[in-house]
Amino acid sequence: MLDIDEIPNPNRMRRMGKEKGKAGITTDMNSMVDMAFLLLTFFMLSTTMYRPRGMELVMPVPDDAETRTQEVQAVKASQALTFIAMPENKLYYYRGLPTPAGIQSVSYDKTGLRQLLQEFVSETEKPVVLLKPHPDCAFENLVILIDEMNINRIARYAIDKVSEEELALLRAAGIPVPTQ
Amino acid sequence: MRFSGVFRPKTPQIDMTPMVDMAFLLVTFFLLATTFKTGEVVWVQMPRSVAGLNLPMTDLLTISVDKKGQAYLSMTSPQARRAWLQKHAQVNQITYTEEEYKAFELMSGFGVPMSQLRSLLQTPAEERKRFKQNGIPIKGDKNELADWVILARVTIPRLRIAIKADANTPFRQVEDVINTLTDINVLRFTLITQPKKLEDNAGY
Repeated sequence: MLDIDEIPNPNRMRRMGKEKGKAGITTDMNSMVDMAFLLLTFFMLSTTMYRPRGMELVMPVPDDAETRTQEVQAVKASQALTFIAMPENKLYYYRGLPTPAGIQSVSYDKTGLRQLLQEFVSETEKPVVLLKPHPDCAFENLVILIDEMNINRIARYAIDKVSEEELALLRAAGIPVPTQ
Repeated sequence: MRFSGVFRPKTPQIDMTPMVDMAFLLVTFFLLATTFKTGEVVWVQMPRSVAGLNLPMTDLLTISVDKKGQAYLSMTSPQARRAWLQKHAQVNQITYTEEEYKAFELMSGFGVPMSQLRSLLQTPAEERKRFKQNGIPIKGDKNELADWVILARVTIPRLRIAIKADANTPFRQVEDVINTLTDINVLRFTLITQPKKLEDNAGY
């Protein structure tokens, strides 16, 4: 759709001298616009706007098992809170040292876990939290626990294995514990 | 239609040139900004968290763990993948053909033991989806996942390692992967999650 408006005839040009600035050729840009926007739409939709997000996890040096136990022991019982994540989204916790009466259940939602942590942080100086996921609990449970640590700004937390002693306590409290 | 005299209506014309300019500018931008999404080797339902750490788009090694606990590896850029396979071939004294390297470059990830890698690479791309990938061996006499991660770190010194595990994977399977990493002194890594709002409940 190319319109050749005027033939550059010198006589004619002189005659139309007043209408200067008018180009001799105009192209219909409509189809080009159509195409450009089509490409634009395609690339916009195919661009991955989603960027993966994640949480940083720093594990202790494995060789330092001895120093680590010493460190854990150095924490005062009053500063420590231990979570045991069990299968089927069950969560238990105790403060300080494990005792049969100390083990309590808490839910993962914000009225349970988050509130508990908020109270713990506000009344404890230098809080330390131990996260002990049972091998059969869902990975999501651990992620929620770590997430809550970040939300409540608990800098000192560690992921550890559930001990036999703790499992025995859970069993004694009538909580079903899957056998390995 | 012909009009005589001074009155000669013209169809209104809009100059489309600036619009074309703008449209092509945007096209160019998106063209350069696009990284085409390659098919994922395995689909995992990631757990949700409020964590906001953005992962890099390059130099990232992702270890995906599906519901059954099978591990898959994927590396971000094709060039890195080729270098990675070259290192692997060198260490294990295997020679891969140029076609196999090409196939590995185009593959976003894999989850087969070393012994099956060649047959996976020789499978045509369109049939690869049907290739049964049973995960990279972690347990047993040889921890192949550890070998692959070490090779990847040798290939790219500033590699970041991320674990993308399914929300419902039993923790023991993820623990195996984490232990594999800590055993080879990878102590800092990222757990990939889906964004969640702070007010949201955990979902139980």
